[in-house]
Amino acid sequence: MKRLVCCLFAVSTVALFAQVPDTPAPGTTIIQMPRKSPNTEPSVPLGEEVPVYDPGSEIISWGGKHWNIANQRVFQARFEKYLNAPEQTDADNAEYQKIIRDILELLSPQNATNVKLYQAYVLLFRAAAHDADGGICNAVANAVATAWQAQLNQNQLVMTCEELKKAMQSEQSKALVYNSAQERNVTTSGSSKKGSSGSSGPAVSTHEMRQTFVLKEAAAFQAQIVALQAKREVSALQARIQFQALMLQLFLQRRFQHVVMTCHLYRQLFNEGDSSIKVEGQTKEFFTKDLGMPPTVSTLLSLANEAMRDVREGVNSYLFLSERNEMESATKRLSESFLVGEYMPEIRTLPREKKRLALLYSQKGNRLVNALSVKDYGQAEELIKDMEILAKDFDPTKPRAAIETAKTLSAMHLAKARNAAIAGNNQIVEDALKQAAAIWPRNPSLTEMSGTIFGQSDLQQKALADFDQLLSQGNIRQIFNDKLRFIAAAATNPERQDKLKKVLEDMQTIEASIARAQEFARRGDAAGAWESVERAAKQFPDDVKINQLRGSYSSEAAGFVESLRTAQRLENQGQNGSGLAWYLKAQRHYPLSDFAKEGIERIAKKILPAS
Amino acid sequence: MPRRASSKLHPAWFVAVALLAAAAIAGGYLLMTKVNDPYRTINALDVLSYLENANSLRGNTYRVSGTVWNSLGWSPSAGRLFAIEVGAGKPGDLLPLLVPAALNHVNLQKGQRFVFEVEVVEGGILRVKSLRKE
Repeated sequence: MKRLVCCLFAVSTVALFAQVPDTPAPGTTIIQMPRKSPNTEPSVPLGEEVPVYDPGSEIISWGGKHWNIANQRVFQARFEKYLNAPEQTDADNAEYQKIIRDILELLSPQNATNVKLYQAYVLLFRAAAHDADGGICNAVANAVATAWQAQLNQNQLVMTCEELKKAMQSEQSKALVYNSAQERNVTTSGSSKKGSSGSSGPAVSTHEMRQTFVLKEAAAFQAQIVALQAKREVSALQARIQFQALMLQLFLQRRFQHVVMTCHLYRQLFNEGDSSIKVEGQTKEFFTKDLGMPPTVSTLLSLANEAMRDVREGVNSYLFLSERNEMESATKRLSESFLVGEYMPEIRTLPREKKRLALLYSQKGNRLVNALSVKDYGQAEELIKDMEILAKDFDPTKPRAAIETAKTLSAMHLAKARNAAIAGNNQIVEDALKQAAAIWPRNPSLTEMSGTIFGQSDLQQKALADFDQLLSQGNIRQIFNDKLRFIAAAATNPERQDKLKKVLEDMQTIEASIARAQEFARRGDAAGAWESVERAAKQFPDDVKINQLRGSYSSEAAGFVESLRTAQRLENQGQNGSGLAWYLKAQRHYPLSDFAKEGIERIAKKILPAS
Repeated sequence: MPRRASSKLHPAWFVAVALLAAAAIAGGYLLMTKVNDPYRTINALDVLSYLENANSLRGNTYRVSGTVWNSLGWSPSAGRLFAIEVGAGKPGDLLPLLVPAALNHVNLQKGQRFVFEVEVVEGGILRVKSLRKE
């Protein structure tokens, strides 16, 4: 039974391709089979139409190509279209189904009479007038008419053969008469020859000639009879094969009611001889190997009946399971039933409101598959939650396991990237982020971490650029004021770390000088304050704050500063005497002056070199 | 009875004689002092000019009177370097004077007043040629 369902599934699936000229969906695996040479083509017209389905690999071989049914784009599209379509319960469809039922009733074996056959034939035209039929009954009626015409022709050929036989027999009788007459003539001429010897040689008699003519006529009639008998056999075989082709075509189209109809018609139209279907190749293997039955009309009829029963059970199962909120199984049963019996009344009359549940579940299922295929695990998780609510028999084990695995791996790579970022290893950061993105492209943590890392990288680069610029300008005070930013930026750059360390030490010296100067100033010692900032200014002449304080304190200790600067100027001019006098003046002004003391000692050493 | 002529001197005469005598003593002292000052012919140093540009005075000899303010250094070969406070104002200007080793026998102590004969040598340095305690 399961094998039969598989075969039906295969047949039905391929019928989708047969009826809808879709090109293979992207990603569908199509393996081109090597074409057979012309001399290996089957001798009968049917043979390669029925597909072969391998349940193990889920691959259908049909028309020289292999199709992976895991790719369900075509089926999904048709199934969703069906689920959205309204039920066909209008009067037109009801009337059509009634006509079909009447036809099947008239053609049933227990009612098989010529009158009922003719009544059914008439109803075929009425059924063909409905859209739901798609003109199939018209084709069946034409096939019936063709069969009848073939039978009529055969009857005429039989009558002709009978006439020819009669004519041949007449000629044969004539030949016998002429033969007897010739024999009598031969006897008479024998006795006369004895009396008249020396007459001329033997001559053909008239009877002999007539006998020859009638024998030729008889042979000609015989040849015509043989030719007509051959023509009659060919005509009968042709009509039978055409009808069988129609039956197989309807079977492939999953028009199972029409298959039953044609099987009954076939039996009544071709009631003499066997009912085997002339097929070769894969079609024959489908019947003999896959189904284990010979390709006969009875096999086809039983397959069609079995398919219709399966569809009815599938629809009933769907209704039962959907009422129990088991939409996983319900949707599967309905999709299987739809696949097999798309044109069955049970499928067509299913109310749209009841189909909507399957549609909702199917759409979410498809979205889940898509989300998993594009590794959108966040969306997949939400869909799993929705589907668990929607269908209590939904098994989220596999998708959830895939999601958790991906999340764990992605988190591991992100942790690696974070550690590498802290260590300043950009290459490892880049590689780890790439791997994390490959596993879970839409990971929110990935976006956040990338933004943080690259943002920090930008800030770091900008901070380092600012540091270099300020250092080149000698503006170490600005570096000092923003030291926290530069310390963080230079953390991974040893060269800049050394420079920054020097800057901070210098600023420490400057700040200490300023603090000391401010303390002198607070005590009213403007000269001491000036001297403190002046000493720092000699080392850091570009510091703004020092220069500001220099200006301020020099005005407060103008006399001392003037004396000291004059002394320095004269010393620089080589006037040690007057320079020393000014240093002494400055020292007198501010006895604690280091500059004055140093200047005095310096010049004294020049004057007293050995001291 | 005839009037008897007065024999007493007017007191003004005594005052005048006393003043003249004091003036004579003072003049004599001053004269004696002037005659005995050996630097009386040497020009006094123009301190302001020296402070402005000592090199312009180089090669000249001047007289400097002042008080020893501080010792700035000593060298056995070059001598001693002192800071001398000169001038009338308080505080006066301080001038460095190099007392060469040849004058090492003269003690110069802080607060003592001296008169120096100085020469402006190279670098505008005031080198003492001779000195005399005041």
